[in-house]
Amino acid sequence: MTSGPGVTNVVTGLTDALMDSIPVVCISGQVPSHLIGTDAFQECDTTGITRPCTKHNYLVKDVNKLSETIHEAFEIARSGRPGPVLIDVPKDVQFAKAKYKSKSEVIFKPHRIKSGSSEIDGQFIEKLVEHIQKSKKPVFYVGGGCLNSGPQASNELMKLVQKTNIPVTTTLHGLGCYPGEDPKSLAMLGMHGTYEANLAMNECDLMINVGARFDDRVTGRLDAFSPNSIKFHFDIDQSSINKNVKVDYHTNTDITLSLKAINEHIESRGVNFDQSQYDQWWNQIEEWRGKNSLLYEQGDEVIKPQHAISRLYELTNQKDTFITTEVGQHQMWAAQYYKFSKPNRWITSGGLGTMGFGMPAAIGAQMANPEALVIDIAGEASFLMNIQEIATAVQYKLPIKIFILNNEYMGMVRQWQELLHGSRYSESYVDALPDFKNLAESFNAVGVRAKNLSELDDAINEMISVDRPVIADIWVDKKENCFPMIPSGAAHNEMLLSKYDKEKPENQEKGKVLV
Amino acid sequence: MSNSSVYPTPINAFKQSKRSVLSVIVDNEPGILARIVGLFSGRGYNIEALNVTVVDVENNLSRITIETLGEERVINQIIAQLEKLVPVHSATNLANLKESYEAEICLVKIEFDNDDQDHKILNFADIYRTRTVQKRQHLVVYEISGTSERINKFLDDLTTISGIKVELVRSGPIGLGI
Repeated sequence: MTSGPGVTNVVTGLTDALMDSIPVVCISGQVPSHLIGTDAFQECDTTGITRPCTKHNYLVKDVNKLSETIHEAFEIARSGRPGPVLIDVPKDVQFAKAKYKSKSEVIFKPHRIKSGSSEIDGQFIEKLVEHIQKSKKPVFYVGGGCLNSGPQASNELMKLVQKTNIPVTTTLHGLGCYPGEDPKSLAMLGMHGTYEANLAMNECDLMINVGARFDDRVTGRLDAFSPNSIKFHFDIDQSSINKNVKVDYHTNTDITLSLKAINEHIESRGVNFDQSQYDQWWNQIEEWRGKNSLLYEQGDEVIKPQHAISRLYELTNQKDTFITTEVGQHQMWAAQYYKFSKPNRWITSGGLGTMGFGMPAAIGAQMANPEALVIDIAGEASFLMNIQEIATAVQYKLPIKIFILNNEYMGMVRQWQELLHGSRYSESYVDALPDFKNLAESFNAVGVRAKNLSELDDAINEMISVDRPVIADIWVDKKENCFPMIPSGAAHNEMLLSKYDKEKPENQEKGKVLV
Repeated sequence: MSNSSVYPTPINAFKQSKRSVLSVIVDNEPGILARIVGLFSGRGYNIEALNVTVVDVENNLSRITIETLGEERVINQIIAQLEKLVPVHSATNLANLKESYEAEICLVKIEFDNDDQDHKILNFADIYRTRTVQKRQHLVVYEISGTSERINKFLDDLTTISGIKVELVRSGPIGLGI
């Protein structure tokens, strides 16, 4: 991007990528070398501004170092725990000439690349297998690291789960690591996770964390987090170990390698798992599942947002569908009601929670997968934050679908104001929204609309069938809240189930200072 | 805030805080100090003292010594975070080594008025075996080195002499594992 404002605008994207461990190489322009430090036009301290939001960054002052720098940047972005890398190139360097050095000519210094260990930790594996055999109430807690390790990691995980009969819960970013429709899946855990997933985490005696980082949205109150479990942690990033939660055993080896080694260990040693040893545990889980924490009541007229996602899932799950989201209630409903059967089909902003993320992400996903169906599940407020990108989709003929759950509120803000701030609503209602159908047409995209239940399926089908960018404006229940919910600062077993659940957060005043 | 917060409670964190000296080997390249300082400020860690110099010209390496405060868990986290920085070769907590040595250097300028003060100053200078950098009427400059505790002690002793004016500079500790 361009120097100055281009760089300051990309700070959000870089931070987002850093938080969610996404490999990105970003090349920025800079004013000519001799003008650096003079407050030149569109000059900013790019490496200074982006230092805390990148894995690494460079200012290239000598064109002879440019090719080497770019090769190293790609290596760093992809290796170990992936992340964003920025290369700042002054204008005179852009115009200068140098001999290109191919990747094979560059000698990478191992201390700079920091790939994870490729050595299998035999003791870790033996201990894990031993504990799986001993435990009565185990659970897999799987995160985005499992995806970053590659699709093979999901296959190995699946093998291990089938062999051991252990339930699996995934984080927001882990969705798709394990098929959502499989009976061993407890679906997502955390603040808006299912009852069974959070209760299983709370009561388990063995927690196997595969590439997740004990984020505060997942753990809830730390001193009440899974108090009686032995914890195993697979994470390529040494600094994730014991950062928030102290674990008993850890490995920094790549997840695919570790899981493969475990499966081989089990086979070569002929380890047998008694399929009935967790019967009691599964009975307990089924009882929790019976609470049906994702239940909602769809009436005859007004579309419930959960129902809109369920219908979207039913009408698109036969195709190779990529789902991106913005941030807010619609994101959580998408995570709860859209079931992913394979990895890398779900792109969302987790750590940073960036509204406006979904449409540019959809554009990228569609560019990379021209034949796929790419849908941005959006809220109207988030969508408006990057609305100009619809022009990009139209210009490059990218037939992305924007599926707006339009409730005229910043729904998640409204929900918190209702639950934790005594319904003192402030700046969460938007009374001046555009007509999204007309807006689409003004961009030469296609607009569809569903105002009530009877129009929903037709709108979804029309959206899918058109081979152009589409904005689908789905009018949903304005006051619907996203449940289940663990209020910030509460423990896993203190969750609110739905608005029919009369329990309110125990300590409202305290809740207000939390985020 | 009470203990039920999702965030670590600071009171407990400070209780078990102890001083640690970290030794960090880095590529000597632009911005490396800013990366390290930014890591500390961004994550809310303390830097009590900091020292940076090139130690290997041929391989372009610098050694950074950082004195910091925190409980063991925090110190381990700092080291893990430091080791993630691309130009960092290694980060070591000297306390975790079997054998390591620390030293600090301090220059002290003392202004005084009378012979009584002069005698007392000389006495301490002798006890602590300081090196005299400069001495003229009513002014003396000493160099003292050793562990930070030794220097602290010397400076404490100087405060017992009334009426003198002390100005000083300290390098912060440097350390080396054996």
